[in-house]
Amino acid sequence: MDLMLFAPEITMVVTGLAVLLIGLFLPVESKKVLGYLASLGIIAALYLTIASLGTNALAFYDTLSVDALSQFFKIVFLVVALLFSIASIKYTEGSAHVEEFYVLAIFATIGMMFVASANDLMVLFVAFELASISTYVLAGFEKKNPQSLEAAMKYFLIGSLSGALMLFGITFLYGVTGTTSIPGIAASGAAIAASPIGIISVVLLIAGMGFKIALVPFHMWAPDTYQGAPPLVSALLAAGSKKMGIVAAFKVFIVALIALQVQWQIAFAVLAVITMTLGNVAALSQTSVKRMLAYSSLAQAGYITMAFVVLTPMALGGGILYALSHGFMKAGAFIATAAVVYMVLSGNKDAKDPDHIDNFKGLGQRMPVTALSMTIFVFALAGIPLTAGYMSKFVLFSSTIQAGFAWLAVIAIINSAISLFYYAKIVKYMYFLPTEGTKVSEPLPYTIALVVAVIGVLAIGFWPEPFIYWAMEAGKVLLAGGI
Amino acid sequence: MAVGDYALLIPLLPALAFVLTFFLGKKLPNGGAIIPIVAIATSFVISLLITLGLLQNPEQVINQSVTWFAMLNLGILVDPLAAVMLTMVTFVSLLIHIYSTGYMSHDRAQYRYFAVTSLFTASMLSLIISDNILQLFVSWELVGLCSYLLIGFWYQKPAAASAAKKAFLTTRIGDVMFLAGIVVLFSDLFRLYNGSIPEGVFILKFDEIFSQIPQLAAMSTPILGFQVNHLTLITLLFLGGAIGKSGQFPLHVWLPDAMEGPTTVSALIHAATMVTAGIYLVARTFPMFIAAPDSLMVVAYIGAFTAIFAATMGIVMNDMKRVLAYSTISQLGYMMLGLGLGAVIGAEAVGISMFHLINHAFFKALLFLCAGSVIHAVATHDMRQLGGVAKVMPITAATMIIGALALAGIGIPGTSIGFSGFFSKDAIIEAAFLFGENGGGWVLYALSIAAALLTSIYIFRLIFMTFFGKPRTAYGGHEAHASMTLPLSILAILSLVFGALTMERFNTFVSETFVNNFVHMDIPALAELGGYHLASHAGHEPLIILWMPVIVGIAGLLIAYLIYGLRVVNMDRLVSRTNPIYKLLYNRYYQNAILTNFLSIKVVYEGLAFAGRAVDTGFDWIVNWIGDVTIDTGDALRQLQTGVVQNYAMVVITGVSLLVILITVVMEVL
Repeated sequence: MDLMLFAPEITMVVTGLAVLLIGLFLPVESKKVLGYLASLGIIAALYLTIASLGTNALAFYDTLSVDALSQFFKIVFLVVALLFSIASIKYTEGSAHVEEFYVLAIFATIGMMFVASANDLMVLFVAFELASISTYVLAGFEKKNPQSLEAAMKYFLIGSLSGALMLFGITFLYGVTGTTSIPGIAASGAAIAASPIGIISVVLLIAGMGFKIALVPFHMWAPDTYQGAPPLVSALLAAGSKKMGIVAAFKVFIVALIALQVQWQIAFAVLAVITMTLGNVAALSQTSVKRMLAYSSLAQAGYITMAFVVLTPMALGGGILYALSHGFMKAGAFIATAAVVYMVLSGNKDAKDPDHIDNFKGLGQRMPVTALSMTIFVFALAGIPLTAGYMSKFVLFSSTIQAGFAWLAVIAIINSAISLFYYAKIVKYMYFLPTEGTKVSEPLPYTIALVVAVIGVLAIGFWPEPFIYWAMEAGKVLLAGGI
Repeated sequence: MAVGDYALLIPLLPALAFVLTFFLGKKLPNGGAIIPIVAIATSFVISLLITLGLLQNPEQVINQSVTWFAMLNLGILVDPLAAVMLTMVTFVSLLIHIYSTGYMSHDRAQYRYFAVTSLFTASMLSLIISDNILQLFVSWELVGLCSYLLIGFWYQKPAAASAAKKAFLTTRIGDVMFLAGIVVLFSDLFRLYNGSIPEGVFILKFDEIFSQIPQLAAMSTPILGFQVNHLTLITLLFLGGAIGKSGQFPLHVWLPDAMEGPTTVSALIHAATMVTAGIYLVARTFPMFIAAPDSLMVVAYIGAFTAIFAATMGIVMNDMKRVLAYSTISQLGYMMLGLGLGAVIGAEAVGISMFHLINHAFFKALLFLCAGSVIHAVATHDMRQLGGVAKVMPITAATMIIGALALAGIGIPGTSIGFSGFFSKDAIIEAAFLFGENGGGWVLYALSIAAALLTSIYIFRLIFMTFFGKPRTAYGGHEAHASMTLPLSILAILSLVFGALTMERFNTFVSETFVNNFVHMDIPALAELGGYHLASHAGHEPLIILWMPVIVGIAGLLIAYLIYGLRVVNMDRLVSRTNPIYKLLYNRYYQNAILTNFLSIKVVYEGLAFAGRAVDTGFDWIVNWIGDVTIDTGDALRQLQTGVVQNYAMVVITGVSLLVILITVVMEVL
């Protein structure tokens, strides 16, 4: 067995521990260096992951696998972590708990990466919980802010419930098949299909993962948490941890539970339609930008879920590409919001609702880079051509039509049209309403993170070929039933 | 490493210059003009070297392609056709950028000017260098955008702002047709492959399209009772785009108004480069045109009609720049005509038309820059207020006269003595004669000769009114700065000698593009497909035919001299509101009244407004209802989100139970 297969994960662990240890001995004013260290570690891990694209191997008694799917999703997680970590350099400035903030984020990312590689339900569950518990703490990082605490509390309670449901589902599967290995469960598909417990375990697993993906009705925590948590943490949740739910669901349903395909396709079809519609409609009347983005990410999750229903190589490729695009777009949008919140709070420490849409008035003049980036992100989310969002929607929706699910594509396209209303509203506030303040200097770390995300969004929009190729490769892994 | 490997830099450097100038130009002297000048100069050197290399060895066509996505690609193609265009555009653009440092030196928004002109140059070059029709279309739209920005450069002036809008909207009609053509082409090619395109085949790449011409020509669809050949349909839609971009009748109305922009912009975009994009498109897809029944005839007649139609209006304009604008439209008509005559001379049509395009670029840019130099010095466009300018601006006057002689096409047939316009215009007119001789009718020849006479009259009218006689008003003036006179002199030299020097080589070089280069098309076979009868072209025309264009050119000069120089005719009687012909011409055939006031405002706008009001009321109600219901639902959903965590947990458990029931029920039904 080759340990080098897990070089990215090892790099992340070493980085996390180094940040924690060095942080103990640094005075508050020089803790900024931790942010740089973490970012460098993430870049190294990202490089190692990209270099390992194309590797196929199993490790640790076949409990972990390295393949196109796992590496693709690891890239998604690392990209989001990188954006998060760069932007956090400014956010954590002056805090005494910088090292904890970074360590938690890094460990959450490690958890997500192991979920992507998991080839066994127990590994998957443990990694899932590692990511969950780290993000529970992150959501409540602003200890003096009651909103942040409330967000963390709700997230934790519903998260524990969902975790329990998921474990329950896994237990049932173990009871029927006598194994927790994903290929093993797939091999005893007939036994699950014959047992009445099959449907129950499918639904319990959908509930557990639907919590992370924020599928209706397991989504109730998401708007409250995304709104209350520090905006950068919301970025990590929406752009990163949501994708963990998706990759877990891909593995569990498409590989392990393929015998019950019809059953979960029905469930996902219903959930996809409800989720995208509810997300878009509820987003229309929000005044808090973070909350609006939360509902928007419900809608986006609804689109991605369509891949489960269609289940062709192209649809899976589209869904996986969408996950990457969404990582850039949604992380970018939350980071732009974070920059605005930072600007509002640095003007008035006790400002109420710093992410209220009124604070975006005239942003085009006050913070030109942030405003322009935000415009690109929301247009990408709405699916305007030459952005990542358009390309992903194009691949996903056209594959839906090709596979004969025109009704589903029509619902999704109508939903996209509705979503333009609230996305364009942000742009209107930024460029067409009079400003209420003077130009402010934009903090450099936020700007760098935004520019990186913009490059990602536009690169996928302008030059989609390599991204589509790797997304399709990742999709093939699923349909081949793992390694 | 061959110079061809740097071909990609030709459009890339000006694009980089755009970014740099846009962000840094404000802080640099002269609006950062040095950045685009260096970038474009480098592009020019690369283009020139590539062209010279191709001349040595026409097989060295550069074609680099990469997959964009699915069956589409991005790539560059430098064959003789593209190479001469690239060299011309970079060269003219370079001179005009140098000239602009003098011309725009008093403008505070200089950096914006130089940024947009570099973006324009980059887009134009990428249009020329594209190896597939989609990339060409994207650049096509970009040059349109730059044209809009530059016509409206002085957007504080209402006339400039509205001219920019008019140009944008009018060319849009053509652009939509072009796009429709691409869509039809794409769907046809897709059908030819039965929807499964093999790996590595890029269906919108030119060589791929050309290889499918016979299959495309075999497809037809009934439209309004006629069986329309698909190739004809596609090419006519492309022609629609070319008509918009190249100011051909009836979409020429935007070009005269476009003169509201700075004169340098008129010279660069609306005389030498962008307006020739339409011609280039037709030349680029020439194998499709020649295989499409009737298409080339439409091209030829539109070109010939535009040539004479615009020339008649040029005679009565009093604004120097507008005379030149109509002249541009008229000359573009000649180029279209030249391409259309491919119906009789085959691939050579591309050669003569491009030859005229290049010559025209030099002398028309020269004429515009001279006009700019006069305008810069005396601050008026109106020729009635000028006269005798030659005394104060000798260099400008001399160079402009050279430009005028080149435009009028003065030279001695049968020798290589003559101004550049002479050789190319002559070739087109001779081809028109050949067309008549082969039984195609004499209309094209008659129109092209008459237009040649009018051309000579209007341009010398401009020269005599502006530069000779006594000053009619007290204008102050001085010769322009060296940064302006230097480009004038270079262009004047080219207008003098370029035609004579390259005549022989140029035509064969460019005509070979589709025969002996990246594609090997059998043009006579394609012409058969389109139903055109090619004639063997051997200069055995009667001597009078060879001399005819020169005779009318000199006649025009004399007429202009008699009327405007010696004033033997009392102009007041001719130029009066009671003379119906003058009135008709001066009012530009009432196009404004018919097209803008009647068609656009009365019929289209008011008609739509009326229909709109009726339909609106109904739709309003429906749309508002949907909007209200959606937003109300949103509000209701907000109520559901109680914020109490116990409720959330209950929803989760309810959800689980409902899902189990749902799946079970559906499975039972299935």
